[in-house]
Amino acid sequence: MSGYRKYFTKKILWFAVTFIVAVLLNFILPRLMPGDPVAVIVSKNAQGMSESTAVIEMYKQYAEEFGVNDPMIVQFFTYFKNALRGDFGVSFSQYPRKVSNIISEAVWWTVGLQLPAIIFGWLIGNILGALAAYLKKGFDKVLMPVSLFLSSIPAFGMAVILLVLFAVKLEIAPTSGGYGFDMIPNFSWSFIRSIISHYQLPFWSIVIYIIGGQALGMRSMSIYELNADYVKYSRFLGIKDKKIVSYVFRNAMLPQITGLALSLGVMIGGALVAEIIFSYPGLGTTLLAAITMADYPLLSATTLIITMMVLITTFAIDFVYGVVDPRVKAAQIDS
Amino acid sequence: MKHLLQQILQSGKFLTGFIIFLFILLLMIFYPMINPGDPLQTISIGTFAPPGTYVSMYDALDTELNVFKLDNAALNRLDSVLKPEDRVEMIMWFESAGVKVDVTLNDTEALLAAWNEYYDSSIQPSGMTKAKRNYYKRLNDNITRMLATIPKVIAKISEESGELVEVRQIKSTDYINTNKVANVFNLPLGTDNFGRNVLKELASAIKTSLLIGLIAGSVATLIGLTLGLVAGFLGGLIDDFIMFITNIFTVIPSFVLLILISYSIGQEQRGAATVAVVIGLTSWIWTARAVRSQVISLRNRDHVNLSKLSGHSFFRIMVADILPYIASYVVMALILQISAAILAEAQLSMLGLGPKTTEVPTLGLMMKWSMLYSAHLNGYWWSYFPVILTIALISFSLNLMNTGLDQVFNPTLRD
Amino acid sequence: MRNTILEVRDLRTKYITRFREDIYAVDGVSLKIEEGKSLGVAGESGCGKSTLALSLMGYYFPPLHYTSGDIIVNGRNITALDPDTTRKNVLGKEVAYIPQAAMNALNPTRRIIKFIQDVIKAHIPEMSKQEVRELATERFRILGLPEKVLDQYAVELSGGMKQRTVIAISTILSPKVLIADEPSSALDVTSQKMVIKMLRDLMEKGYIKSMIFITHELPLLYNVTDDIMVMYAGQIVERGSAKDMVFDPKHPYSKGLMGSIIVPEPGTRELELVAIPGTPPNLKNPPKGCRFAPRCKYAEDECLLHEIKMKTFGEGREYRCKFSIDYLTEKYNNGKS
Repeated sequence: MSGYRKYFTKKILWFAVTFIVAVLLNFILPRLMPGDPVAVIVSKNAQGMSESTAVIEMYKQYAEEFGVNDPMIVQFFTYFKNALRGDFGVSFSQYPRKVSNIISEAVWWTVGLQLPAIIFGWLIGNILGALAAYLKKGFDKVLMPVSLFLSSIPAFGMAVILLVLFAVKLEIAPTSGGYGFDMIPNFSWSFIRSIISHYQLPFWSIVIYIIGGQALGMRSMSIYELNADYVKYSRFLGIKDKKIVSYVFRNAMLPQITGLALSLGVMIGGALVAEIIFSYPGLGTTLLAAITMADYPLLSATTLIITMMVLITTFAIDFVYGVVDPRVKAAQIDS
Repeated sequence: MKHLLQQILQSGKFLTGFIIFLFILLLMIFYPMINPGDPLQTISIGTFAPPGTYVSMYDALDTELNVFKLDNAALNRLDSVLKPEDRVEMIMWFESAGVKVDVTLNDTEALLAAWNEYYDSSIQPSGMTKAKRNYYKRLNDNITRMLATIPKVIAKISEESGELVEVRQIKSTDYINTNKVANVFNLPLGTDNFGRNVLKELASAIKTSLLIGLIAGSVATLIGLTLGLVAGFLGGLIDDFIMFITNIFTVIPSFVLLILISYSIGQEQRGAATVAVVIGLTSWIWTARAVRSQVISLRNRDHVNLSKLSGHSFFRIMVADILPYIASYVVMALILQISAAILAEAQLSMLGLGPKTTEVPTLGLMMKWSMLYSAHLNGYWWSYFPVILTIALISFSLNLMNTGLDQVFNPTLRD
Repeated sequence: MRNTILEVRDLRTKYITRFREDIYAVDGVSLKIEEGKSLGVAGESGCGKSTLALSLMGYYFPPLHYTSGDIIVNGRNITALDPDTTRKNVLGKEVAYIPQAAMNALNPTRRIIKFIQDVIKAHIPEMSKQEVRELATERFRILGLPEKVLDQYAVELSGGMKQRTVIAISTILSPKVLIADEPSSALDVTSQKMVIKMLRDLMEKGYIKSMIFITHELPLLYNVTDDIMVMYAGQIVERGSAKDMVFDPKHPYSKGLMGSIIVPEPGTRELELVAIPGTPPNLKNPPKGCRFAPRCKYAEDECLLHEIKMKTFGEGREYRCKFSIDYLTEKYNNGKS
């Protein structure tokens, strides 16, 4: 049991450290830019404001909010404390809405879209990769280049292609939004149907975008495992091929779990941009809005939330992996 | 070395990737040569001119005429006017008027023959609305007009009297030779939302994006290589420290860092080179990890120990004893970095954090503008699809070359 | 006369490479083992001895293919069986195998007991899990392996323990023949001794009826097996009792093999240390006559012309060389003085 405890303690410690560094970076990067950050933000927001008193007011308000007059370290702790409480201030672009309010709405759309899509894409990709490694010949000859090509199409590109094909040409799916624009969210059947039909295209574009890379990874992992010594030995013990194949795929699949954790950041980044194509009401669209409107508090909070999502998922995956793969435990005892 | 090169060139994957990449490079180099000038120059008034050959109408009017009697001219003319939905409606009219005809949608000739024979505006099929009847009337008028062979008259406004003076009559059998028209040009990919030549812009964008990829890839590889070498070779505290940083940045998504840094730099300072460097600064982690583990497996080899005992400097050992062994990995890492950086630029630009828009086009910026003007919703495929295809093909060709190299260097992956 | 457990007649098997070339790594091997006896196979790496181990199982999968010959186990010709019958009734049950690299021979993510269950289920599906556990527990106890290993994963075991576990698993169904391919070469001296002792125990307690032990260390065989045969380039070049083979090898290759041992066992130390120059031939295009001739210091032009047949001499000894025993003995004696 000590192997597990060591592994999990280490992971939790890492989580804490990474969390702090992530918040620190989120705090410090925008403040590293030359000049007065408040002035820059105000100048971006004050475009079109003619009255100088309003601009001065605005400046004072943000100077206060940022606490720019305090030393950096004090600023950081204020920021950290607020962030922990989920207080990210007030949005510039959707004044007077609270940033936390906007984010908490968007985050569930993104989680609801990306989590199932990534898991589904991962599963399908792994199955295809395993089949390619096992069946070889024709299937592999086709799947390998197709996977490579699919994984080369950026997520937003896939989104545009699906959108044009299914929404514009065939008109069997809506072009944008998370639900019908004429609807008010409620628990009626028609609303749920609307959500589901709006869900399809973003979902599939993320799935297809993920499948290719995963299939390739699983393919080479499976080929590696198929050549492992235990496969030969198991065969000579008379164990049935079906059973041996199940060994191979389990052993190839397990490292793919860690692979998922490691590529999560890239996947989510790509998927967020794909959301934009569909104006899906998630964090990707929020991010775009924050950048276009120069809404600094919203941007900062969105990036922090995205980082948190990646962190939490990564560590969740690591935990699961630690439990299901005995090799991890053994490695801990060794070191 | 020669043998290795031979093996690489024999790899089908590498070769395919290389050929695709070469094709893209050729487009990038040669299109600006046959069509020089500023790629960002607005040439069309109005947006999204479709691909095709453009002939100046003004010049064409003064061009010498040739007469051709072609059987299918009238039909072709009609074909281009008769939309598929019109054809469906025509068949629907036969149906509701109770006329039995056996024609297919694409058989324009038979369809027209039937139409001319049976259509009569005075027939009022039951259940047909007045609007629908008027539609059929208009359709019939159009068809009659297109089939008519009455000459058209070109007139100019007389300077003295202000009246129209006939200049020329054009009959349905008149043709001009485009070689004789003063202004004819070809737009293989039409124009974009700003009225720019898309292909010219694309050729220039490929150059910028590849350059961004190359700069970002080099920066990332250089940082990753240095950190990996130092960490792997020296070990101890330095290794622990570098690995600490690397582990943290493995989990914190580089995508987020990229957004924060790009946003902080501000639109005015963000040139293509700056964006490239920022991308490079946020994507060295994988190279560092890979190089480090390679170096660790190398650092206790005999030849390295011998160099250490001989008192060679760190730098010399690196260059002479370590680098040659990991060179293949570094090249492969660089190739992947280039394709990742091109994608990163595109995503940044989609978010509005790409390079400054006024100087050079990039693949990401072209995509961004195309989306902003809803080209995808309006069927202006030429403004976004070539861009997606180019990004995909660059990435695909680089990945293929990389896989080819990988199979040469790691023979276990061969099947 | 004892029972013949395994008889092999003129076995030929080949590898088919990626480039569609045939490589005959076992090229006409015949051998016979009686109940309670063990046979050692020696030779350099690349001489085909590991392929012989794989070929003797009667179960082939790419890139290894069966060409001709018979393998008769306990009176039954297993090369005539269809692969699934061989898998179910022969592998592990009649002929068992211990691989060269036991380090990675066990599925790293499966508990040992689960793996044993898989093995037994493939042959005796009606045996319950409880019975399997009882059998495994008892066998492990008799062989001196800790019982807790059963509930561990392979990755948690040390190298020596892994190898012994592999031996216990391979022999769990009490096979007639055990083929051990360099079972001790990757281990430290203590573990090596334990592995050898375990193999002896298995023979003495009757869990295996006979054994083929493959190694590149000829003197090791002296302590382990009754008979020894030396392989070169896919063929047997000499065969005899362990004692004769170690102290009085006749074939120039066997002679060289004895001479090239770096750490001689006691009793072989007085022999001079000479490595055999060159490497085994490429089996894609083996030499036409004597396959060892290109490396043999006694070879004459004629050696390369005709294929050499096995010749018998003395008490149950055979060798494959153009020269007579007397001629060779004289040459060797001259060399010494």
